[in-house]
Amino acid sequence: MAVAFQTPPIVANDTQPRKLTFVDDVLPILTSRCLKCHSGNRPKAGLNLSERPLVMRGGISGPAIRVAAAQSSLLWDRIATGEMPPQGPPLSGAEKGIIRTWINDGAINQAGEDGEVIDSHESDEYPLTESDRNFWSFRPAQHHKLPSVETSHRMRTPVDSFVLHSLQQAGLNLSSEATPETLLRRTTFDLIGLPPTPEEVTDFHQDTSPDAYERATDRLLSSPHYGERWGRHWLDIAGYADSTGVLGADYPLHFMFRYRDYVIQAFNQDKPYDRFLLEQIAGDELVDYHSAFAQEERLSPKIVEALIATGFLRTAPDSSREDFNTIKNVEALYYYPTINDQLKILMSSTLGLTVHCAKCHNHMFDPISQQEYYELQAILMGAYRPKSWIPQMHRRVPEATKSQLDSAKKHNDQLDAEIAERNKAKEVLQSKYVQLLAELRAAELPDSIREDVLLAVQEKAAERTALQSYLSEKFQTLLFPASEDLTKTLSDNYPEYTSNVKTLDAEIASRNGRRAVFDEIRAIYDLPGDVPTPFLHRGDALTPGHLVEPGVVRVVSAPQQFAWDRPTAAVPTSGRRLAFARWLTQPSHPLTARVMTNRIWLHHFGRGIVSTPDDFGRAGELPSHPQLLDWLSIDFADYRWSVKRLHRHILHSSTYRQQSAFIPATHATASQQDPENKLLWRQRLRRLEAEPIRDSMLFVGGRLRKQIFGRHIPLASHPNGEVTNAPNTDAYRRSIYYQVLRSKPLTMLGAFDQPRMKTNCAVRDQSTVSTQALTVLNSDQTVNAAQAFAAHLESEAAKNPVSTAIRIAYSRAPRVGETETMTAFFESQIKRYQQLQKEAETAPEKAPGAPRFQALTDLCHMLLSSNEFIYID
Amino acid sequence: MSIRNTIPPAIPRRQLLSQMGAGFGGIALSALLQEAGSGHLATAAPQTHFDVSLKQPHQAPRAKAVIQLFMHGGPSHVDLLDPKPLLTKHDGGTAPGEVADDENRTTYLLGSPFKFSPRGQSGIEYSELLPHIGGHADRIAVIRSMFTEHRNHEHAIWMAHTGRIIPGRPHYGSWLAYGLGTENQELPAFVSLPDPAGLPVDETRNWSAGWLPPVYQGTPVRSVGPPVLHLHPTKARAQNTDAARLAFLKELNERHKAGRPGELELDARIKSFELAARMQLSATEALNIEQETLTTQRLYGMHEDKTKSYGKRCLMARRLVERGVRFVQILMQGQPWDTHTANTAGTKDCCAQTDLPVSGLLTDLEQRGLLDSTLIVWGGEFGRTPAAEQRDGNIAKGNEGRDHHPYGFSVWLAGGGIQGGQAYGATDDFGYRSVVDRTQTADLHATILHLMGLSHEELVFGRNGRDERLTDVYDAHPIKALLS
Repeated sequence: MAVAFQTPPIVANDTQPRKLTFVDDVLPILTSRCLKCHSGNRPKAGLNLSERPLVMRGGISGPAIRVAAAQSSLLWDRIATGEMPPQGPPLSGAEKGIIRTWINDGAINQAGEDGEVIDSHESDEYPLTESDRNFWSFRPAQHHKLPSVETSHRMRTPVDSFVLHSLQQAGLNLSSEATPETLLRRTTFDLIGLPPTPEEVTDFHQDTSPDAYERATDRLLSSPHYGERWGRHWLDIAGYADSTGVLGADYPLHFMFRYRDYVIQAFNQDKPYDRFLLEQIAGDELVDYHSAFAQEERLSPKIVEALIATGFLRTAPDSSREDFNTIKNVEALYYYPTINDQLKILMSSTLGLTVHCAKCHNHMFDPISQQEYYELQAILMGAYRPKSWIPQMHRRVPEATKSQLDSAKKHNDQLDAEIAERNKAKEVLQSKYVQLLAELRAAELPDSIREDVLLAVQEKAAERTALQSYLSEKFQTLLFPASEDLTKTLSDNYPEYTSNVKTLDAEIASRNGRRAVFDEIRAIYDLPGDVPTPFLHRGDALTPGHLVEPGVVRVVSAPQQFAWDRPTAAVPTSGRRLAFARWLTQPSHPLTARVMTNRIWLHHFGRGIVSTPDDFGRAGELPSHPQLLDWLSIDFADYRWSVKRLHRHILHSSTYRQQSAFIPATHATASQQDPENKLLWRQRLRRLEAEPIRDSMLFVGGRLRKQIFGRHIPLASHPNGEVTNAPNTDAYRRSIYYQVLRSKPLTMLGAFDQPRMKTNCAVRDQSTVSTQALTVLNSDQTVNAAQAFAAHLESEAAKNPVSTAIRIAYSRAPRVGETETMTAFFESQIKRYQQLQKEAETAPEKAPGAPRFQALTDLCHMLLSSNEFIYID
Repeated sequence: MSIRNTIPPAIPRRQLLSQMGAGFGGIALSALLQEAGSGHLATAAPQTHFDVSLKQPHQAPRAKAVIQLFMHGGPSHVDLLDPKPLLTKHDGGTAPGEVADDENRTTYLLGSPFKFSPRGQSGIEYSELLPHIGGHADRIAVIRSMFTEHRNHEHAIWMAHTGRIIPGRPHYGSWLAYGLGTENQELPAFVSLPDPAGLPVDETRNWSAGWLPPVYQGTPVRSVGPPVLHLHPTKARAQNTDAARLAFLKELNERHKAGRPGELELDARIKSFELAARMQLSATEALNIEQETLTTQRLYGMHEDKTKSYGKRCLMARRLVERGVRFVQILMQGQPWDTHTANTAGTKDCCAQTDLPVSGLLTDLEQRGLLDSTLIVWGGEFGRTPAAEQRDGNIAKGNEGRDHHPYGFSVWLAGGGIQGGQAYGATDDFGYRSVVDRTQTADLHATILHLMGLSHEELVFGRNGRDERLTDVYDAHPIKALLS
């Protein structure tokens, strides 16, 4: 290959440096020094340097360059150290500089063209095999007849048929039914995240009707707190946070809470799950917000709701600001990560697939090609465009129509004009009084110098004589006070000036107060215009390839194909998200119903039928009860995607209602055959999550305020590192209403494993560490909760506080001997405090307070700290 | 523990699977592939419970604990650890082409105003700003050939702590806690000692466990006031009432547990309360500097205003590793090494605060026989430009600043398993670029894990269908030359 050698351009000296290219700048160097060995059919070390794609592919040691990272590139490494070329002098400094800069600038092939990359794992050709297509989760759910089982008296719902069937095949059976107290506590926590009150326990006990339990579940399912409990599960999956959280500045998001309230409301209303997804993914397109915006007077509540729902696609970390466009390689560093994270959230939450592996290469486990990854990305690309990124702070949707915005603008423009007039009047006023003051002060000067002084200060600084300079320096500030003293000097001398300014300021303030403002919605919306989505080689924004059209994962055999038509230029939104949501919510979609059914199951049993709820692919677990999962999913989609119906199938079953206790005598075989209890021969003991723990601690003391919805309650950090609600804010709301800051979680919730949202969270981790115990024992939050509990007991049950404490904290009657043990502690603790009080007579600052209340507080505190309080059977 | 072997990335797992289906079933992959016929890749049931109990390392460890002395802002390598006579010779001039600053951020070359001299038997050169640390030259291995991938502080900090220039990944201290657990359950596995004057840049993220479970995140321990959050209640309790409370709690929990045999979680939580009670004592004891002799305190410079604060944290670090804490991190407020202006004065000031305390730490560890089992890692997120930073207007000679510099810089290691008395790798003649034995961060991390008995390829955490590791996609290797 003959290429004329050119004098290399010196980039640093160019005023506007053009980008170096492979063809013009790098290849000449390689040709003269490297290609003798590194080209042709059998290049040395498998490395062919004659074309850029081949450089990217590299040789036996790996890719020769990492785009934009010369320091990590083998090519640079070898030539910088002089290892290459092995013969002749090393490359000159200028030559090395060209290669390094070329790599760092994106390793472009030739001017006006982006590079193509060949990668052995990258290919548009991606044949699906039979085994790919037949993998269980990619096939639609199958109708299964309910299997027949022996112990039919335990058969309550179809859930039991499937579970009993597999148990019986293994020679096992369900455990016996849990006690009513246990069952009510389990169900109440599961559905509303709070314990049942002693009255509810008594009522349940006394209700001897055969459907007492069913009615209890109905009562809980229609509680407004049901949405708070199950909404929080969904918010984990959606990656909800009230802050942007990428850089050190974790900016708060002021309107995200409306999405949180939407989710709570949706669960409370039992919004059909397909509608729930449609609204969250494409609410704007679904209700035709764009036409309403252009044509209507106001946005209807339905449209506002659908817009708020799309906050689901605004949960990924995004702290982009206007000045980000000055950052080198900003697309790859900030914009693409946001769209990739959002896609990951969308896919893992709705489809239970880990598509993000296919960002850089075809998926390692699942038949998902890199091409498909970018087709999926194209669905979000209508809204998130790395090439024309809208900083997140500017991505705002006011709750208003065009006509409202127009008239608001008119109104505000009018106010602005009036304010400008008054500002002008203030200036005029000031210069008038400045002049008056100067004249007044000049009149006070001795006659002999007055003329000279006035001439001196009026002369241009550069043209003053020495004497004039002296005079102006001396008298300038006397005649014309410095700006920082001006207001005071003027008001001292001219009271009417001050009152005039005050009047004008008041007029300005009143106009500012009358400004038309709208609430905002943190919604997603498409930008107008064409939406190019490039395939990115190696997932690198600096190596874009061909453009792709929106699409979905082909291996998922949904009966209806993904259908999307390019909208006409007049349509303001691309329709991509709606097309995806329609494909996703078709009743026989293999994944949508199964994935959600599995999540509901997970929160009733502590483990999903598929124990990897965000991975239904090959790297995930196989379902423990595949037919049951199919049956429930089909029923779910058939009966208007009702989540509450799904709850009832589960809650009413004997499977759910059995005991959790492991009884060595009865469970010997079961624990040997199925040590992990996959077949559900007993319920599972579960620890409460962070929010129900905190909420219950407040609840038992009668402190929890049950108001639902509302703006998040802001947080504040204390010098000791603790994060609590900000001063003078409500400390007694349910946990879901506190601001979720990615950088600093509420200490009490963080201690109990509330997830920090990097993207989203499908299954919470659970830790048991001593620092957690310290928080329970010593934080002001728990100490205050214990005191409130004690005060509550003193006012409600002064006579028998101990047994009442058990009833409230554990939602059950005291057991034999229990009251006695606790009373013994209570009384001995009272004596200790009395003794302390006696000792404190000499040192009153050590007085612990009323002994009985102190002792009762201790008792309450230990109940709140105990395992029984935070575990459910 | 989900420490699993990973398949070399060269063979896509999917391809392996299809090969299995096509009759390559003889390959012994049963550990990896169960139920291959169904095309299902078996994984262990996802682990949801995590703790810091002691874990088996992959190989015999050379060190038991790490103390990370992180120098926020990026110390100037050419003023401290990487002498460049040619830079001094051409002070005020321009650099030759091959070290040209292609980002056009600097002006003239800026020789170090500080003298370097050979120290110890090894004769490795240290700057006059490090008189005390230089005294340990024979124990220290300086890596002069580091480079990183970003010139912003946060990104480079993420690289140094977590191995990538993206946020939200776990600090390597968290990886150590995850992989090894910790020897003293009464103290946190990963302790961070931030400056009482204020947090460093990137704040609490400096000790974040990222997506590793929160149990592996650093516990910030304060060197002024109560050391650990909630270690004691706001209103103190009398010893006898407190003991009675805890005894009562234990009684409640034992009664509860009796009806639920085999539930290990309940035991674990009971234990966590007992440990918490002991931690109230042990943490207080561990951090009680008063127990140290005046001689020891002076060793760390606690008698001087300048060195008192950093010295105290160094001494706390020694007491913590002595008690079995796995990982201790010492941080400075803000980013003091970020000498964009007056590099000479700024660097001097940082050294004045840290040189004596760090040296005291090395001496003290050595005297107590702890240096062999404690790895010290000193360094910042990048180095500084060998040329003067461009500023508006004229900068008086001696007042020039140095800009961020990711292409070549120095860090040093000492202690457990480190062959001291050496300088590994080199930058070019002007200190611009790492050119000899170039060291990527992943290699440094692999070395740290290696010394602690872990293989960076085997220490993985399954997440979203991917086995994550500290060194991520990098082809990383422990640096053999550094090992004793």
